[in-house]
Amino acid sequence: MRTVKKAQLLRLHFCESDQYNGKPLYEAIVDLCRELKIAGATVFRGLEGYGETAEIHRHRLIRKDQPIVVTIVDTPENLGRLIPEVEEMMDTGMIATSEVEYVRIEKPPAAGA
Amino acid sequence: MLQKGTAKKVTIFVNEDTQHHFGSLFDAILEFLLHKGVSGATATRAIAGFGAHQVMHTTKIEILTEHLPIRIEFIESAQKVDEIMPTLYDMVTDGVIEVQDTNVVKVANKEHPSPPKGPHTEMKGTARLMRIYMGESDKWMEEPLYEAVVKRLRLMEIAGATVYRGILGYGAKGHTHKSSWFSRDLPIMISVVDSEEKLAAAITEIESMMQDGIIVLSDVDVIRLVHSRPAAESSHANG
Repeated sequence: MRTVKKAQLLRLHFCESDQYNGKPLYEAIVDLCRELKIAGATVFRGLEGYGETAEIHRHRLIRKDQPIVVTIVDTPENLGRLIPEVEEMMDTGMIATSEVEYVRIEKPPAAGA
Repeated sequence: MLQKGTAKKVTIFVNEDTQHHFGSLFDAILEFLLHKGVSGATATRAIAGFGAHQVMHTTKIEILTEHLPIRIEFIESAQKVDEIMPTLYDMVTDGVIEVQDTNVVKVANKEHPSPPKGPHTEMKGTARLMRIYMGESDKWMEEPLYEAVVKRLRLMEIAGATVYRGILGYGAKGHTHKSSWFSRDLPIMISVVDSEEKLAAAITEIESMMQDGIIVLSDVDVIRLVHSRPAAESSHANG
């Protein structure tokens, strides 16, 4: 049974070395998403990149400072609750949203395995 | 040039020692097919068999090893088969010619690539971006789901797919995807760009393979599309 629904995709760009209350920012954001009952969140680590400070983010021997992208898909209302809080937590970085359609796949575990 | 899709498969059974203009018939047939530009033909010698003469030919008994059956097979477009069939019919003085409809799934040729296929190149301007989210430990028929999905997309001639592995995440299943010393179940995202119709077909296929997950679609503008095969090479292949 396919249900195509409208939703929003939120992408947060920042770097791996960003911290929030002593833990990595991306962990803090994922925890926050759980608290706010956001449908899901996925953290990706980029290989290399640069942002507004024009500092190249890449993996160095001692300091890990690669770019991080967090992607979240949920309704505009839920993201509306999330975005102000995330903005508070991020020092530098970028928040991008786009309109998407989504298909949620959920089958009983036994079927066709 | 043989193309993907419907085609004809021709099988010819002859005797190894049937003569044709002072040479063996199967050699003559193969040479004729080569001369006519048939994409490929294979002759195989059987180990045993009998034909219209009702005499068993087998390699087991030396006296019967003469007249062993030879089977020549080739696949070509219906048009090409029609073109060469009259001559083949004339050549095979003793044997059987059989034609059947077939479906060519893949034509891969490293040295002479087939001309670029239409659907990829027609895509200009706007397209659809599909993101498929799943877990790294998800399986399909005992192989990693993301590998199975990429293979399937390739079979469907979707323009391209990229698999990303996340470092942390959670979804509707509720459990956190993260890497530990004992297990590894990181989030996986596959991103695919192609036309709306092709993605619609792909979604149906992927949905049947996935147990759990989410597919996200959005409209995107495509700025550049690189052909998988340069134009110069394909014209060379045609010539």
